[in-house]
Amino acid sequence: MRNAGARSEAIVTGTLVLPAAAAFIGLFCYPMFLTLVLSLRPEGTDAGWTLSHYVAFLTDPDGRAVVLLTFGLALAATVLSVILSVPVALALRRKLPGHRAFRVVVLVPLVVPGLIGALGLLIFWGPRGWFNLLLTQVLFLRPLVVTYTLPGLILFYVWLYFPYTCVTTLAALESLDPAIEEAGEVAGASRWQLLRHVLLPLATPGILAGSVLTFMAAFGAFSVPLVAGGNYRPLAVEIYKQIAVPIPPHWSGASAIAVVMGVVQVGFLALYMRAVRRLGGRR
Amino acid sequence: MRGRVLTTVIASVILIGLAGQAPAAEPELVLADSQSGANFQAYWQKYVIPSIKQSLGITVRYLVTSDAEQIQKAKAWPAGKGDVQILFPKSIATWVSSGVPLETLTPETVPNLSRIDPKFLKSDEGVDLQGKGALFWRTSYALIYNTASIKNPPKSWKEFYDRRAEFKGHIGMVRPDAKSSSGWRQRYVFLHAFLKEKMTRPITELQNDPAFKDAWAKLKDFTQYAKLPMPAEPPNLFEDFNAGDTWISLYAQDYALWSARQGTMPPTIKAVYPEEGADEIGTGYLAVPAGIPAEQKAAALRVVNYLLSDDQQIRLLTTMWQYPGTDITDQAPPIVWEIVPKLDVLMRTAIPRERIRKDIIDYIKANAKDLIP
Repeated sequence: MRNAGARSEAIVTGTLVLPAAAAFIGLFCYPMFLTLVLSLRPEGTDAGWTLSHYVAFLTDPDGRAVVLLTFGLALAATVLSVILSVPVALALRRKLPGHRAFRVVVLVPLVVPGLIGALGLLIFWGPRGWFNLLLTQVLFLRPLVVTYTLPGLILFYVWLYFPYTCVTTLAALESLDPAIEEAGEVAGASRWQLLRHVLLPLATPGILAGSVLTFMAAFGAFSVPLVAGGNYRPLAVEIYKQIAVPIPPHWSGASAIAVVMGVVQVGFLALYMRAVRRLGGRR
Repeated sequence: MRGRVLTTVIASVILIGLAGQAPAAEPELVLADSQSGANFQAYWQKYVIPSIKQSLGITVRYLVTSDAEQIQKAKAWPAGKGDVQILFPKSIATWVSSGVPLETLTPETVPNLSRIDPKFLKSDEGVDLQGKGALFWRTSYALIYNTASIKNPPKSWKEFYDRRAEFKGHIGMVRPDAKSSSGWRQRYVFLHAFLKEKMTRPITELQNDPAFKDAWAKLKDFTQYAKLPMPAEPPNLFEDFNAGDTWISLYAQDYALWSARQGTMPPTIKAVYPEEGADEIGTGYLAVPAGIPAEQKAAALRVVNYLLSDDQQIRLLTTMWQYPGTDITDQAPPIVWEIVPKLDVLMRTAIPRERIRKDIIDYIKANAKDLIP
């Protein structure tokens, strides 16, 4: 009797899990497997195996530079996003007048298509954009070159990806019991001490979760560096170039770079998570 | 009771008979477009697709896509079950080289094909088309310049090269590794100005020629005078024009004119045709994949023929200032020629098609790094 009950429970569980498993295999495992197979095929053929695409990319100094650039951009965007998110989340948490509208504004970069956002940023920060008009026409300063520079690209990344850290930091801060903060105040802690010793440590899991999302998204960034990167073209743009520029497209070459990108991304993520766990342990 | 049964039987027979006589419903088709820019994407949806429905009774679903994506999908089609019936690719050469089987178009299956200059049916981007494409439109590149910054534009590439210091930092050159064909076109046209008929030779031979080495060195030198960093794709080029950073660039005439009217290019731009040629005459071809159901193939060929009809072709010119694929420019109203130059003017300065070689295009793309300062 007990066996029959367990069996029917297993059938129900299996039936519920099946669609998700099928979707995971069909939408993730199969395309990944196909990409891997394609990366090992000689260009333009469906037969034979070769590692030449990997060797060509990894032995090319430009290939290694692209990996480093991608990593550097993602890291810089993550660090700056966290630095920007914490004060914004602290301010939003206070529920000051207009905070609802600002909460929506914070999410705008996530809902605007990347390409449109990138073009908008180029126009805003461009030599004759509003930012430089403010500098030159109102403040009578010299114009600042932002577009197509590395700092400019990082700035654009931050605009695009900081909502991830902001939203998770805000959620972490808003879930805190106000009594904890009050206890700190009663104990005589200054605002800075409250922030340093109470709020930030408690919000750290949210900040770290957001930073992981930001890092992953920034590592795979495509539209912004394609349009606004100038000579700084990370891995996703390199993959696109392999498909869009040559006739016929270099699918195998592009697949090999995509596999390298995936491996590097997962590797970095594993290291990052390990570091995060260690940080959590120290706390 | 018997009467009711009889009535039902008679009614059924009449209905079956009527159903048998009714014309078979036209199949629904998908047209995959990776050629059109924003201007023509709107044009297809507003004018061409409804016009096909009205004239042929065929419903066409319009799909904006990319060649690379469609080619991969087409390779995975089960035999005879392709789900895209008409192609308007960015590059017919890419499709013909891809190994995806395309229908061979003939005047028997597409009668209006005979109205197209045969040299355009023979090859494109240096690739033998093997009768797989029907020329839908011709585009022209021109030196687009901003009259607010340049009063006396160069009339030839040689003059442009000699006066390069005048325009230092303001010459728009799209990256040679751009998706847009302007990336290789701008370099190709420059090289052609110094090499001309030598461009018919294979690159393996040509690259050892001192004249080629000299032209390549000139091109490398010329790129030092470009606006840096080079625009990644045409939207960046346009933005550079708007910002006043770029004063002059070789680009598609129709799109530049349209953009100026849309406010995405300065209203003060004008076009000039360098005497050694501005382009080979850019092309947009229609094609029909071979691996689609037979009844859809027949309908697709009818649509292709309709798109090459005089009515559709002249509309390209009168509505969008785009040159038609068929030879009917004599039917255009004179007002058109006040906006764009006559096709024969362009044909005179255009680079002959036999001088556009795929191996030279590939050489430019492969050596893109060399051409990015």
